[in-house]
Amino acid sequence: MASLILENVIVDFPIYGAEKSFRSALKAATGGLIRKEKNQGDRVTVRALENISLHLHHGDRLGIIGHNGAGKTTLLRVCAGVYEPTQGQVFFDGHVSALFNTAPGLDPDDTGYENIYSCGLFLGMTYEEITRKLSDIEEFCGLGEYLSLPVRTYSAGMSMRLGFALATSIDPEILVLDEGLGAGDAKFAEKAQKRVDALIDRTSILVLASHSDSLIQTFCNKAILMESGKIIREGAVDEVLEAYNQ
Amino acid sequence: MFVVPNYHEAVSDFSKGILNWKMWGRLGWQENKRRYRRTIIGPFWTTLSLGIFIGVLGIVWAKLWNQDPKIFLPYLCSGMIVWGLISSIINEGCSVFVSAEGLIKQLRFPYSLLACTVVWRNLIVFFHNLVIFFFVSLYAGFNLTWSSFLIIPGLALIFINGIWVSVLLGLFCSRYRDIQQVIGSILTVSVFVTPIFFTPEQLGARGLFIVDFNLLFHYLNIVRAPILGKAPDALNWLISISGTFLGWGMTVFFFSRFRRRIPYWL
Repeated sequence: MASLILENVIVDFPIYGAEKSFRSALKAATGGLIRKEKNQGDRVTVRALENISLHLHHGDRLGIIGHNGAGKTTLLRVCAGVYEPTQGQVFFDGHVSALFNTAPGLDPDDTGYENIYSCGLFLGMTYEEITRKLSDIEEFCGLGEYLSLPVRTYSAGMSMRLGFALATSIDPEILVLDEGLGAGDAKFAEKAQKRVDALIDRTSILVLASHSDSLIQTFCNKAILMESGKIIREGAVDEVLEAYNQ
Repeated sequence: MFVVPNYHEAVSDFSKGILNWKMWGRLGWQENKRRYRRTIIGPFWTTLSLGIFIGVLGIVWAKLWNQDPKIFLPYLCSGMIVWGLISSIINEGCSVFVSAEGLIKQLRFPYSLLACTVVWRNLIVFFHNLVIFFFVSLYAGFNLTWSSFLIIPGLALIFINGIWVSVLLGLFCSRYRDIQQVIGSILTVSVFVTPIFFTPEQLGARGLFIVDFNLLFHYLNIVRAPILGKAPDALNWLISISGTFLGWGMTVFFFSRFRRRIPYWL
């Protein structure tokens, strides 16, 4: 069974080239979270996450709620294994897939088909898997002949559809999702919704960050509320949403 | 320097990255393929301009220094082609992580994969450029010997070294952005200091230290000599193989300590 455990995770971002005046401006803007490390000379760091502990097991669908700059995306990136915490530990059991923007490694000069393979590999699929899923991706994105043309010739909506079709064709055990998985026109949005449902159904653990109450209510069975890098509320979705909306 | 090293992580990054040849093979290939798009001869444009450079300068310099063009031209040509391979790996190695910021910030994957892509991509360019040598040989005559086959271990050694060079420089350059500029200037000068346009013999005894202490020359010669149908000197092998061990040691030292910091630096 998949699990994802964070123990007292702290993330500090180093800010290079921060001028003194800029530093004090930052201090005012972030409520004093900027600190000068005592033994590191003049290095300025921003504490993005403070003592975060999470224990997620099979079937857990966690919603992360919070205002801009609360640390949602940073926490997602820690869960995805992108950032190794400055202090504390993260334990993964299971394959993690993260979707921040829809298609990692997408190159506008390559054709749709070439990108399906390149991005698919980056998303953790094998050649055989991609070939197996090719017809499904083709059908879902509905781009037809355009898939043989370079992606730069696509409209924004079309490349989004391609990215979306790709991103939702993976079989992750742990899925880390930023709310950015938007979905074009109304007809496509409906199709897309079904596909996201199916994707989430076949994942063991979901971590989703969003500003949308309804999205969290639909997909999650527990939630945390974050503020300046700390978890200030933890528990059932409705309770946490209520605290957030107060 | 006082960071706790994580050797396990560093080694698994290298083994997973290097073994995933399907992936870097594809990425490197794609990048060359892109250069073919919308141009008729694609990457051969660089080959063509390098070819013109070698042809014109080769003839002028052969006259200038009273050299036999049939000897000088293949010498210059092989030197320039191999130099192109080495210098572009070093140059592009500097930006290997910086240019992949988007990927590094959203996925967990072995970073050494990117280094392999850089080396492989440049190896493909190298094979394009080898065409120039073919044309030079039409004029100067082919010199195919058993030693020519030593190009295979030579290129293998360049490949193995290219990976650590890219990872190490990529690591430093993502933290200190000035390093890339420094490396660029050093390379610009090195092309004149390294015996590419001139032979080590022309320097005579007093200039030998320029050659013997020039690491780049030894790496250059393990590929260049076989192209010319000669065997590289034992010293070339000795130094480039020791360089391989030293370089990998250094890279593992730094990579095991700072790998996890790379996404923070970008």
